[in-house]
Amino acid sequence: MKKIPLRRLTYMAVLTAIALTIFMAEAQLPALAPLPGIKLGLANIVTVYAMFALGPGPAGLILLARVLLGSLFAGGMTIFYSLSGGACCYLAMLLLRRLLTPRQMWVCSVLGAMAHNAGQIGAAVLITRTPGVAVYLPVLLVSGILTGLFTGLCAQFVFSRLSRITPPGGRSS
Amino acid sequence: MKSTKFWVILLAAVLILSLAASLLVLRGRGGACACVYQDGRLTRTVDLSQVSEPFTFTVEGPAGTNTVQVEPGRIRVSATDCPDQVCVHQGWISTGVFPIVCLPNRLVIQIEDSPPDSNLDGVTQ
Repeated sequence: MKKIPLRRLTYMAVLTAIALTIFMAEAQLPALAPLPGIKLGLANIVTVYAMFALGPGPAGLILLARVLLGSLFAGGMTIFYSLSGGACCYLAMLLLRRLLTPRQMWVCSVLGAMAHNAGQIGAAVLITRTPGVAVYLPVLLVSGILTGLFTGLCAQFVFSRLSRITPPGGRSS
Repeated sequence: MKSTKFWVILLAAVLILSLAASLLVLRGRGGACACVYQDGRLTRTVDLSQVSEPFTFTVEGPAGTNTVQVEPGRIRVSATDCPDQVCVHQGWISTGVFPIVCLPNRLVIQIEDSPPDSNLDGVTQ
């Protein structure tokens, strides 16, 4: 693994801290719907931003650090859902990043959120050993599309506002 | 690079499809079933969609008696011996959002989508 320049590492650390803060603040909000798995996913703003501003490597590290630390603070079994959802979301965004311009960043977020939901359901099927929970996928997809659109537009807005600040080290791929 | 229009149409189509599918899923969960738990054990179930005539039954617990009243589609605790009367003040419930809980009598009345042995739902903690 090549050495990460200190300025770049610090930038990634700050983004991780922001993502974790957003994640913890959101965890204090009451549930949006009486179904598990439906949430705004505001912390994804940081992941989408990092994917476009820093590149897939740093974005993956930030996501992984946020999921691990977030699960540590939140506790419980949620880490399995977060990890599988996060991994699916990351893979989807990795593929999409090449297809999209920064102005279409919201698409990346929406499809990432949908992949996240699919990953969550996959984990739920494995953990509960009830394939029947897969029927909730459409419900989660509706929420994923809407919340993904919201967080994607947020990320796009952040990206255009922060474009004057060049991320240290620039984009890597 | 695909045009933005392509993505908008694709995502709108997926949104509409999954909206339709989720309406089917959520509607199909009918047959609201009131489950009466005492000390965490399921002691009685009432299928609220099958109730045509209102009726009452009583539940005995360590702190006295709860009188439970059932009407089509809803259920409540109408009287209790315990001092705080929290379960009575909660009134009628017809959805699974807030269960009726009587702590002194260790009684929980929870509305579930289907009888608890359904293979559709799983719970993890």
